Amino acid sequence: MDLRAGDSWGMLACLCTVLWQLPAVPALNRTGDPGPGPSIQKTYDLTRYLEHQLRSLAGTYLNYLGPPFNEPDFNPPRLGVETLPKATVNLEVWRSLNDKLRLTQNYEAYSHLLCYLRGLNRQAATAELRRSLAHFCTSLQGLLGSIAGVMAALGYPLPQPLPGTEPTWAPGPAHSDFLQKMDDFWLLKELQTWLWRSAKDFNRLKKKMQPPATAVTLHLEARGF
Amino acid sequence: MQGSTESNSTGFWVYDGLCGIALRQSECPALPLNDSRQQMKNIGKERDTQGERSELDVRKGLFRAKPFVSDSDTGFSNSLALSKDSSITLGTPHDLKCVTNNLQMWDCSWRAPSGAGRGASYEVCIENRSRSCYQLEKNSKIPPLLPGDYEITVNPLYEFGSSKSKFILNEKNVSLIPETPEILNLSADFSTSTLHLKWDDKGSVFPHYSNVIWEIKVLRKKNMEIVKLVTYSTTLNGKDTVHHWNWTSDMPLECAIHYVGIRCYIDDPQFSGHKEWSDWSLLKNISLPPDSQTMVFPQDKVILAGSDLTVCCVTQEKVLSAQIGSTHCPLIHLDGENVAIKIRNISASASSGTNVVFSVEDNIFGTVVFAGYPPDIPQKLNCETYDLKEIICTWNPGRPTSLAGPRSTSYTLFESFSGKYVRFNRDEVSANENYQLFFQILSNQEVYNFTLNAQNLLGQTESTLLVNITEKVHPRIPTSLKVKDINSTAVTLSWHLPGNFTKIKLLCQIEINKTNSEHELRNVTMRGVESSNYLTTVDKLNPYTIYTFRIRCSTDPFWKWSKWSNEKQCLTTEAIPSKGPDIWREWSSDGKNLIIYWKPLPINEANGKILSYNVSYSSDEETKSLSEIPDTQHKAELQLDKNDYIISVVAKNSAGSSPPSKIASMEIPSDQFRPGVRYNFSVYGCRNQGYQLLHSIIGYVEELAPAIAPNFTVEDTSADSILVKWEEIPVEELRGFLRGYLFYFEKGERDTSKIMGLESGRFDTKVKNITDISQKTLRIADLQGKTSYHLVLRAYTGGGMGPERSMFVVTKENSEGLIIAILIPVAVAVIIGVVTSILCYRKREWIKETFYPDIPNPENCKALQFQKSVCEGNSALKTLEMNPCTPNNVEVLETRSVAPKIEDTEIISPVAERPEDRSDAEPENHVVVSYCPPVIEEELANPGAECGGGSQVIYIDIQSMYQPQAKPEGELDSDPVGGAGYKPQMHLPITSTVDDLDADDDLDKTAGYRPQANVNTWNLVSPDSPRSTDSNSEIVSFGSPCSINSRQFLIPPKDEDSPKSSGGGWSFTNFFQSKPND
Repeated sequence: MDLRAGDSWGMLACLCTVLWQLPAVPALNRTGDPGPGPSIQKTYDLTRYLEHQLRSLAGTYLNYLGPPFNEPDFNPPRLGVETLPKATVNLEVWRSLNDKLRLTQNYEAYSHLLCYLRGLNRQAATAELRRSLAHFCTSLQGLLGSIAGVMAALGYPLPQPLPGTEPTWAPGPAHSDFLQKMDDFWLLKELQTWLWRSAKDFNRLKKKMQPPATAVTLHLEARGF
Repeated sequence: MQGSTESNSTGFWVYDGLCGIALRQSECPALPLNDSRQQMKNIGKERDTQGERSELDVRKGLFRAKPFVSDSDTGFSNSLALSKDSSITLGTPHDLKCVTNNLQMWDCSWRAPSGAGRGASYEVCIENRSRSCYQLEKNSKIPPLLPGDYEITVNPLYEFGSSKSKFILNEKNVSLIPETPEILNLSADFSTSTLHLKWDDKGSVFPHYSNVIWEIKVLRKKNMEIVKLVTYSTTLNGKDTVHHWNWTSDMPLECAIHYVGIRCYIDDPQFSGHKEWSDWSLLKNISLPPDSQTMVFPQDKVILAGSDLTVCCVTQEKVLSAQIGSTHCPLIHLDGENVAIKIRNISASASSGTNVVFSVEDNIFGTVVFAGYPPDIPQKLNCETYDLKEIICTWNPGRPTSLAGPRSTSYTLFESFSGKYVRFNRDEVSANENYQLFFQILSNQEVYNFTLNAQNLLGQTESTLLVNITEKVHPRIPTSLKVKDINSTAVTLSWHLPGNFTKIKLLCQIEINKTNSEHELRNVTMRGVESSNYLTTVDKLNPYTIYTFRIRCSTDPFWKWSKWSNEKQCLTTEAIPSKGPDIWREWSSDGKNLIIYWKPLPINEANGKILSYNVSYSSDEETKSLSEIPDTQHKAELQLDKNDYIISVVAKNSAGSSPPSKIASMEIPSDQFRPGVRYNFSVYGCRNQGYQLLHSIIGYVEELAPAIAPNFTVEDTSADSILVKWEEIPVEELRGFLRGYLFYFEKGERDTSKIMGLESGRFDTKVKNITDISQKTLRIADLQGKTSYHLVLRAYTGGGMGPERSMFVVTKENSEGLIIAILIPVAVAVIIGVVTSILCYRKREWIKETFYPDIPNPENCKALQFQKSVCEGNSALKTLEMNPCTPNNVEVLETRSVAPKIEDTEIISPVAERPEDRSDAEPENHVVVSYCPPVIEEELANPGAECGGGSQVIYIDIQSMYQPQAKPEGELDSDPVGGAGYKPQMHLPITSTVDDLDADDDLDKTAGYRPQANVNTWNLVSPDSPRSTDSNSEIVSFGSPCSINSRQFLIPPKDEDSPKSSGGGWSFTNFFQSKPND
């Protein structure tokens, strides 16, 4: 996992391209009922933007956690963070998912992750970090709304929040600072994996939903986003 | 480590030297510790099953009383013990030993006779003054005996073949071995790694107050390494007392099992026997709490930066590495796979703490350590109030603690008079780290004594401030500033200043800004009001002017100004114009109409917007007016009849009309006036009572130049000045207002001047412009005596220059100056002559010495006689060959005594002092003549035959000026280029010697300055040189700018001191030497 802000030029180029393409997205120019296509594209773009945003946030936050969390080859076992929604899934399983399930899983995952992230924000010791986290939370909230929009456009019901799934980020007495740091580390890692997975999901959905007129977007795909 | 005693004893015995007593018992050299275990074993063997209490079964520290057979009469001696062997075989009780653990009973035991069975009984009798016998078993208690020797008789009962034994027993031979202490409780506080030990001293069984030394040991790990051994003193006070002892481990208690044991030593001053340590108690241990999930200890520890810390990992897996931050640490192995690391001098942590991580094969365990500092003393604590409702205290936290979040410093602001306090909530810290607390003002309190307490997990500090809050009011910014007109020069300002200022006075400052003008500040003082709305009047304003007001406030006594309020702009109302417009008039071109003009009023006089002008004209009979002439028009044309009219103009604005400006229509025809004539105009007003002079002016229609020149006379004449006086020109001749006079003067005779006239442009004509027309005289100074001057005077008016009047004056002769001019030079010449004569007379000796010294006759010198003869011999040779006489050929045979006399140390030549060097070239010379008298008539007469030695000496003499110390030759040789840089020209010969042949090239290059020409040149131009035929002549630089024929230097030595140092007579001698060559 590479959360360090290394490939900044690439990210900048990506962001610029995304912003450049935004006016070209046919959904924004259509006057009639746009259908789910534009909102999927928007969600996809937002996902890519969040990926970029997370890189800088994770760099800052891991430095805040201190070594060895900010060391590039640090890869602790995933322990005690079972409550975090896991993004990694078997490829076959992923392929077998239908659109509704896919979106539902995304929605649920980000709902949880957002909650955890807000807990992270409450704990952060420095004001600057809190600002960055709050900014990211707002963006993630936007993504969540965007997914909800897509689901609504496709006619899927929003998943009901299960009772007790609202995680309370109050560390128990046994929850030591070190374990907390491990959780934070995994939260950022899962968030990154989820964003990557979502980008894939929305891309797939987009291709499925949109007419082949959106050559520009397809071209962007070919460039290996 | 701490200790405490649960005792209510009111007194105890202080007994110094407690240990000393114990150690002075030479019989028990290793008393405190070492032999106790061994003793315990020994005693265990001797345990008597008949002991009454189990605690008493374990005994040690035996005294073996010396037994003797009662039948024997040999007394107490060592030999008895040996002789007792036979008794043992016979079955005699032996080896009596007595110990005590509480001084109330002695436990005595002896070895039973060999045949005695268990349960055998003995009769023990103690004899001193009285005899008391006890029937006892083998090991029994007897009451303590008083100090002194006692004879003990042990008689086995019912045993045949055994005899009774006698022992001597004294208290000194009894051992005091306290009971083994028992640990009541051992508990651990894992969070602080502290052990708590509790035990009972069982002081009730001890009869006296005694000092007790407890020794506590802490053992760690399964192999029981001693990590702490400590003594702890208490006293026994006759009651059972529970003692406590705390110990904080450097290693977390979870890391390894910890054991604790205790023993004691009672130092009873009244007991004279042996005092020994008790046995160690049973060890108690503390082990890891079984429910602990964490693997690394300590967890989330807050410690002082710079201290040491041990962190351990409790695990079943093999720990591969450990690191703190990004630094790897060596592992310390504990029991099992447990490891620890020791962190020394830990540095302050970042905001999220310092991570300590242990890595095993497929997992990591870790903890976070927070290393920081206790809070700094809060600095710059300042409390003030904005509104007298709430006090704001601000401070600077000082040095960062490096602890953040829940471990950050908490602040409490405590007010001691009211006893109230407020706490600082960490969340209130804004982004700029502003530390402040709000304290509600109490209605009946003005003075507050604040204590700000700063506390974190590492310590606490505080800072205090006593403040009278009414003197520390920093009002907030005034709001709702409003301006209201009162009249054209005054307005009312109102504003809102939040705060409870009813008890104090407010001082407010109003800034008044007028466009294009400097701002003005006015202070107003007012009482605070409950409504917080304030009102003041600002007067002395200008009407119809835009003002900008803003306000700030402070309190009395002054502490701080508030910020300025927002600005408020206001236009004052109009007032009537303060004066009428300036007017003038003009007749129209046809002469029928009178046109009245007026100037628009400036804004400060208009006092408002001028709406219109009213023009009215009135004669004696009637008054007419042209009303409402609009502001844009500034003239009016009036058709007047022949009557005289007074015309008046008023300006009107919304406030009213200005005072009228008046002008009359009357005029006098101008053709009656002539130029150059002075007129007096007097205007009289016609009043009821008569005429009254209103104004009078004098003027000309046109000014002309004066018609005549002023008359002037010479009042006084001296050798260098002339005083001129003139008369005024009559007014009718003046024809204008007199502006001044021009006065010219120049040298000149009557005839020439008349022709040439006087012009100011001429180079020798001087002009004086007299503008002060009241001046009637003029003194012309700096003139030459007895000279004719041409003077001219003319007047001028606004109309031009008048005619001139001239006069010739001859100045008087200056006789005094002439006399002085002759007398002074004569007097000066005489004085100089006299002074010179006196000086010459008085210094005649010096002058003679200096200028005409007696020249000694060289004929009289004995040395020169010799020299002369040598030279004469050479001169004879010289005529035959060019090789002159050289000193090298001169051998001094008889004048050794003379040579030192003439060898001045300062003029000794280094060359002369190194005969060994010279001997290479001139081996035949033993002594070189080092001095040649400067004047040798023969040499002068015959320069080619000049004594080489003589010239050399003189030359070297010069050298010595620059080298006051003649260097040893070796030094010179080794350092031929030592004088690099500037070389005085005389330096060269000295350094150039035969030995320096190789170094000479270098010398040429390095010696910065070469005299006049190179050596070769010199040699060419001085073929008469004594060395000219010498093979070394190339390198023997003559160096000297001195002519060969003359000893006078072409370039005299610069150094003024040098002649002195090389002999006072040198320069003068030289001077005189040169004379004959001239």
